[in-house]
Parts: sequence; structure tokens; C-alpha cells
Amino acid sequence: MKVKALSRSQASTQRECSGDLRQHHRNLDPAYHPLQRPREYTRAVNAAKINRMFAQPLIGNLGQGHQDAVTHTAISRKSLLPLLSASTDGTLRLWDLPTRSCVSSINAHKMAIKGVVFGLDDDFYSCSADGTLRKWNISDSMSKIAEQIKPDDTWQIPGSFCSIDHHWTEHQFITASDSSVQLWSPERSTPIQSHSNLWGSDDTVHVVRFNPTEPHLVANCSMDRGIGLHDLRAGSEMKKMILRMRSNDLQWNPMEPLNFAVANEDYQAYTFDMRKLDRPTQIYKGHTSAIMSLSWAPTGREFVTGSYDKTIRVFNLIHRNGFAREIYHTKRMQRVFTVNCSMDNAFIISGSDDTNLRLWKARASEKLGQLTSREESAMQYRHALIKKYQHLPEVKRIYRSRKIPKVIQKQTSQAIIQKESAERKQANRIKHSKPGSYKFESERVRVVNKEIK
Amino acid sequence: MTEGTEESTDERTSSIARGMTTKEAGRVQHNLQTAKRSHSEDKALLSKYKDKVPQTALDSVAITTSEHLEHISKSKKLNDYQKRSMQKRVQYRRKDKVIQARVKVHKTKRYQAAISAADAHLILNTQSAGLVEAEHDMERTTSLSQHELKHHHLDQQTSRQIYDLTLPHSPYGLKYDRSGRYSLLYGQRGHLAIMDATHLQLHRELHIQERIRDVSFLHNYTMMAVAQTNHVYIYDDQGTEIHKLNDMNDPFAIDFLPYHWLLTCVGRSGHLKYLDTSTGQLVSTHNTKLAGHNVLRQNPSNAVMHLGHANGTVSLWSPASSQFLAKLHCHKGAAVTSMAIDLSGNYMVTGGADRQVHIWDIRKFRKTHSYFTPAGVPQSLDLSQRNVMGIGHATHATFWSPEALLRKVKDPYMHHSVHGCGAVETLRFRPFEDVCGLGHGKGVSSIVIPGSGEPNLDTTEANLDPNQDKKQRREAEVRALLDKLQPNMITMDPADIGGVEDSSPEIRQQRLESLEATANAKNDARKKKQKSKKRGRSKIQTKLRRKSQNIIDHQIVKQREQKEEVEKKAKEEARQSSGESKPKSATPALQRFF
Repeated sequence: MKVKALSRSQASTQRECSGDLRQHHRNLDPAYHPLQRPREYTRAVNAAKINRMFAQPLIGNLGQGHQDAVTHTAISRKSLLPLLSASTDGTLRLWDLPTRSCVSSINAHKMAIKGVVFGLDDDFYSCSADGTLRKWNISDSMSKIAEQIKPDDTWQIPGSFCSIDHHWTEHQFITASDSSVQLWSPERSTPIQSHSNLWGSDDTVHVVRFNPTEPHLVANCSMDRGIGLHDLRAGSEMKKMILRMRSNDLQWNPMEPLNFAVANEDYQAYTFDMRKLDRPTQIYKGHTSAIMSLSWAPTGREFVTGSYDKTIRVFNLIHRNGFAREIYHTKRMQRVFTVNCSMDNAFIISGSDDTNLRLWKARASEKLGQLTSREESAMQYRHALIKKYQHLPEVKRIYRSRKIPKVIQKQTSQAIIQKESAERKQANRIKHSKPGSYKFESERVRVVNKEIK
Repeated sequence: MTEGTEESTDERTSSIARGMTTKEAGRVQHNLQTAKRSHSEDKALLSKYKDKVPQTALDSVAITTSEHLEHISKSKKLNDYQKRSMQKRVQYRRKDKVIQARVKVHKTKRYQAAISAADAHLILNTQSAGLVEAEHDMERTTSLSQHELKHHHLDQQTSRQIYDLTLPHSPYGLKYDRSGRYSLLYGQRGHLAIMDATHLQLHRELHIQERIRDVSFLHNYTMMAVAQTNHVYIYDDQGTEIHKLNDMNDPFAIDFLPYHWLLTCVGRSGHLKYLDTSTGQLVSTHNTKLAGHNVLRQNPSNAVMHLGHANGTVSLWSPASSQFLAKLHCHKGAAVTSMAIDLSGNYMVTGGADRQVHIWDIRKFRKTHSYFTPAGVPQSLDLSQRNVMGIGHATHATFWSPEALLRKVKDPYMHHSVHGCGAVETLRFRPFEDVCGLGHGKGVSSIVIPGSGEPNLDTTEANLDPNQDKKQRREAEVRALLDKLQPNMITMDPADIGGVEDSSPEIRQQRLESLEATANAKNDARKKKQKSKKRGRSKIQTKLRRKSQNIIDHQIVKQREQKEEVEKKAKEEARQSSGESKPKSATPALQRFF
């Protein structure tokens, strides 16, 4: 008779002394892991709950903020540390982001500042409604004695400036003013190029942005509700389209620079493909008031918008549904005029009417700082679980739930009713009119009113 | 170590890089080579894992068909706009390259997961199970006695597991905890003992001055539920009474669902009760409408409770539904006396008072074959982790090989009898060991059945590690609580949760509406049925009165005449009294105005 019976020796299963690592065995046979699916689902629900429990997006204010509403911020394209903010009372402040402290405060202009931008070197520019444009040096401006802080250079034009942007690779900057769009070089006292009466329109251009990769391509938004592209080499206009309402901000996607996002007055944001301006690639809904500012995450997969409805929303391109992934608000935050993403894709900075600058986490429930490997793997596991079960009602409900101010809830529900009613009307119109006389028009087609070439 | 081919040395070096010693890596390599040789076995293993990888939402994208489109266009419920958008969505899903790519990636991932699980199975499962094999035709494994095993075949450690305990409060029963480390012995006349089955030490002993009908460990060995004469009590491992469960009265059988933290109990009245041991709340009570002695076992794969009744049926229950999920007529004209369900949840074994043991395929709800127990009624039944079937009938315990579940086998695998100890009351296999415990009239016996226990442990599964220390036990307790499943998640197929529904949203809507309609119809019917009952209808006085209501005899005639006379008189008197106030001068025509 051949006999073999199990016999586990103590040594094979137990550790010799308490300092040893515990022995671990695995048996992957599904019979010893029953109810896998329900258990995984329960873990997913718990992961969604944990995600919401740890969601504390607001890190805090930057120092004491400004004396007046914060209208513009700029972050350096080279360094993670500095932040520049500008206020309607004409002051500039330079911040050290890691310590959240004000490094220098400059009385830069006599009137409201309309744009700030970092240069390629150790410098930054500010332009104002009083028609002055000044170049500053970071190291000089950090001087303790206020009288010593003086601009490197000053330019003056009749009228007022509206916007400024610096070239991504060359020492050039472009401004928009009442009369024209002008290209400047820091070495010259007069503009290199001046474009006025673009596309036969006298309307003021209020936003200009250099394309990150095409060195001569500039996009602008003008008061006639238009968005235009023009080429600096030929000094000629390329394309222009007219939307239903005016656009407050425009930003090129940093990773796919043929796409850009537009913050519009009609409560919506749009992304456009430069080659195909007749319709947006996606409409981003959710805000209940005009969007004032927009900023891309450095990954080019998300952008942040700040709105007049006192909220900040984060939109994700990958979700492809046009709804915000995240909504940030606080009781004390007023109209948001400017938002900016930090270059490490971890923080969002907002400036609002309540004179404060706020620092937010880009992902609300993430722990700041270095994670241990166990923390990291647990976090990744939770993310994977939520991703796998995000279609299930319980997980979805918990994961997507956000506390929203009552006013915005009300306004959102109203907007939904309005939208449904418009859809119904269109459907009825098609149904009851002569076949072919009315055509179904999708929402995206209706965004662009007119295209000018 | 022999030199392998180039490929296999690569594998060895890679596994060494993964942190194994060279010896282990050599073993892994050997395993892999054997795996490659037995290709058919490999395939079976792969299919085992592939079946267990459930479908997810992404799979449904591939399901979209033209039928779906047609269905939408024919629908009457949707308006034109909705139809358009739904059709577009279906078309879009098909065209969308991103989604299609995602589906592809997902499917490959699923397949890869199955393959790597099967590979890992070969690498990780280093221990082989026990066995008893006859070396020539004349030998029978059945004839191998425990005495022979103990003295000629087993090593010292395993042979210690063969013992008899003579205990005073018999008859005895026993149960093991999930790790197989601890056993709970209960004498039906009030003796309870927790034993460390590995070290053969008594952990705690207590005497209860009541009859014990059944016991069960809760989530780990530190707590146990005891079904006593009137109620179920919960004790800790020190013997302290923690709870008395008033809801569970007259208990006959109890069981514990470890993943749901549910204590289930069936009592004299035939009510099946579920109690959440983490919150202490009674989750649900189902009236099985079959009182008396019931057999209670759980299906370990889906946590459905199987109840064997005295009328020969077995019903399947979940806490979510007040009606049984399924009912099988297992033994014709004979009570179900014992039952066991295998670990994968595919087979159920029932023993009946007709001395038959039937094997059921639960997937099909069909009996596949049966065995006869010659010595007596199969009082106790159990399936080991590796599907060795143990049947206790009268003083005998017969063991059948795992193959006996799949097809009819002629001879049993092993046999043991407890002569002079009364009938085998309880038979339980010890998890992760080749040991089987028998509870009988004189105490408890422990015997060795090679090949019954699973050789490979899994220490990641909560409370399945026999060697866990205090810290690990506490950790596992917290983990298990975090992963606690909701009672309403118990279904026949647990993989349904989070799965894909094949129908379109519209069909789903229709189904929900019809469900709602039927539910409402039931409510209406109930409302109509309600009668306005009067109090005291059953009084004997009222009954008699009612009986004699329509009978007219001379007494009643007399009474009626008297009544009429009295009324007449009263009328006349009234007329006279009113007539006094009338003026006599008035003419008869005018008198009516007064």
C-alpha cells in the first residue's frame, strides 16, 4: 500500500523568532476565494467612500492676498517656485509657492493691471489700463526697500493695454490694446509689428496668446465675439470665427498645441481644433455664470476654469462627456477672475474678487507629499477598483457626489429644464413641419455663428 | 542541479531575480517543465481560471447589434429626439475607435490574467496532496485500518492525529474553525470544549447546564455561538457568555456565513433567521413552513443556505427573499438527515432516512447518481476540501474518493468503524489537514484520511491561516469587517453583481414597469380582501340568537301580538294627547293645519 499524508512541520510554517518576517503562502485556486466579485465590489464602494472622505481640496490662502480684487496670475514656465499676481489697484505681488509667502509687493501701475507674464530669463512683464507696460527683474524686485524696486524698462502707448503674452522661445512679447495687436522686443522702444483693423473689424482684441510650438502663430479673442488666428511672418490674418458670445480667455493645449480651449461668456468652455474651426471638438458645461479664466494642466489632459459663479471646475478630456470632474468652492470665495495650474500638475491657484489668492489640490483626495510604497499601492488599487466599478450606481453616486452651493444647484436644475425644453421644441418642429424643411442641428454645430477667412 | 535548456535557464535567472533562492528557482523551473509536458492538464487549469474571470461592462460594447437599432426605432415610448440620440449612441459605440481599442485591451488583459493565474498556480502550489494507492489488484484501500496507518505508514506528527477521546457528556459533536486550527467539541448534555487541534491541547472547557444542539465558531475561534435548549448564546474563547440571542429561540441548527458575518439559525418552528454578528441586528426571518428537525448547511461558494426538511425536500434560501430560491425533492417519502455541499458549489450530497445518499449537480438541479448506506441511515455527511466524501451511518464512517462525486464508483476509498461507541453523530473534515473528526456516543475520535485536505495554504485570505498569530488575527478581523458583504448580495450566482445585462435600456425599463405593476396589483388585491370584522361574533349567546332569528313559533307570535298592542295603545294615547290641543271649533278640513 502506498500512503502519503499531509504533514506540515512547524519550521515550514512558523517563524523562528519574532524578528523574522512572517511566512506567506498563496493558493490561487478560485474555490478558496469564494465571492470574489461581491467582495471586490464592496471594496470598490469603500474606495469611493474613502475618496470622498479624504477630499479636502483647499490647502489655504497665499499670505494676506491683495488690497483689491485679484485679476491676473502668472506662473513661470521654467521654475515651480514663483507666482505672480496682479490686482485692480495696480499692484503686483510675487509669491514663493512652497512657503505660501509674499516675496515682494510692487506698486506697478496707476490703474488696473490687465496682464502679467513671465519672460524667458529672470524677468516678468506687466501691462495696465493706463497704457503703460513695464519690464521687471525678479531678483531686483525682491529688495526689501520699496523705493529700490524699479522697472527695468517702461513702454507707453496712448489708450490702454488689454492683454500680454510672451513668446515661448524668443525674446519677444505681444500685446493687445484698444487700437491694435502689437509685437514688441525688449530692446526696442517701439513695436516691431502692429496689426490693426484685423479682418476689417475695429473691435478691441482683449486676449492674445502665442502658440507654444509654432513660433509665429498667434490666437486672439476680440470684443466682436470673435476668435482669430494670425501669422506674424506675413502679418496677415488666417482664420476667424464668431461665436454667440464673447470669449474671456483662450489657452493653447501645452501637449497638443493644435488644440486650444476657450472660456466663454455663455457659461460654457469649448475646445477647438485649429484646423477645423467650424465646430468645437467638445463643449464643457456646468458653470452657471460666465467663465472668466482658463488654464491647462501641464499634461494637456485637463483644464481648470474659474467662473463668475464663484466656483472653480476641473474638466477632463479623457472622460469625453463635457462635465466637470471636480468642483471647488468655499463660502468666502467670491467671483473667480483667474486660475492657474502649477507645472507639477499637483496644485491649482485661484485669484478672486475677495482679494485673496487660494491654493488648491489638483486631485482633492490625494495625500500631499511622499507616499510610502504601501500607501501608493493601496491608492493605486483603490483607483483601479473605482475605475472598474464606476458604472455601477452605488459607486457612481458616491464617487461623483459633491457638495454644491444651493444657488448653483438651483441654477443647474434650471439650465437642465431649459435645455430639455429646447430639445423638445426642436424635435416637435422637425416632427410637425414638412419633411426636409427643418434639419436636426446638433449643439456643437450651433456654437460657431460665422467663419471668416 | 541539472543544466536545462537555454529557455529554461532564462526562466530560472528571472525567478532568481524576483528574490527566490536558487533552490526554489530550480523547483519553479521543474514545475514549469512538468507543466509544459502535461498540456491537457494545463488547458483544464486555464479554463478553470478563465471561467472565473467575469464579464464586465466593456464586454457589452461588443454585443450591440442591428437588432438593437431596430428595437429602438420600433419603440413607441421614446419620442423622436430620444430615438435619434439612442440610435446615435449605439452607432457611435460601434464606430468609436477609442472604445474599440479599450475593449481589445480589456479582453487581452482578462485573458492574460487567466493565463498568469494558471501559471502561478503551477509555481505556487508546491505541496502535493496526500493519497492512498493500492499497489496491486489484490489490495483494497478500504481495508487499510487506522491502526495500520498509525503504526506502519504515517510519520510521528501525523500519527498523533489518530486518537480517541472518551468523554462523559455524550453523545458528542464537533466542528472546526475555517483555518482548521481549532476544534469545538460539544457534548449534547452540556459540555463544551475548544481544542487546539494542531498541538492537541485543550484551550478552554466549560459546562453548561443545558442541552446543546449545535455549535458554530463565528469569524474566528475567539467567539462561538451555541444553540442551547431555549436560545442561541454567544460565548468568547474564555467561556464568558457575551450574548443571549432572544430572537433565536428553540434552535436546532446554526451556521455562520464568514463573508457576510451572518449567523443563521433554524429552530423548532421552522423559521430560518439571519443575524448580523457585527451589528447584532436580526437581518431577516423566513418562515419555511416546515417545522421539525431541519438540516442546515451553507453553500460556501455563494453563501446560499440549504435547508433539508423532514418531508424529503431541500430548499435554498437567501436573506433577501422571503420565498425560497429553489426547492429540490431529494428523498421520496423519507426525511433528509444529512447534507454537504462542496467548496466550488457545484455538487450537493444529501443523505436521507431511506438510507440513500444522492449526489446532486446544483448547476442543473439534477441528481446524477446515488449510493446506498448498508449499516443504517446516513446521520452525518461531509465533503472535504478536496472533495473526499465522508458518510457516517450507524457505527460506521465510509469515505469515498473525489471521483465518487463525478461518477458512480464501485468501492469506497476508506472505511472506519467505531464499535461499541454508538452511532456516528457528527463527521467533519478538518480543513488543510488530512484529518477527519467523528463525534459519537462515547466521545470524539480523530482519524487520518490521506488526500482529504488541501496542501497549499493561502495566508492572504482572512482567517484561513492555521498558523496566524495574535497580530495577524487582529489584522484579519479588521480586514474582514471592511470587506463585509451586505446580506442582500447573496444570490445564486454571485458573479452577477456588477455584471452586464444583455438587454437594452428600454427592455430594462419595460421589465421594471411590469414588476412595479404586478407589485401594485398585489397591494390592491390585498386592500379588497380586507373585511370589517365585528367583535363578539363568536359569542355563544350571539350565535344562538342568530340561529333562532328566522324561526317563528307560538311564543314569538305571542310576543309580536303583545308588541303590536302596546304600540297601538301608545299611538292612541299620543293621538289623544295631541287632540287635546286642537280647537274643537275647527272644521275637519281645517284640522290638519293644527
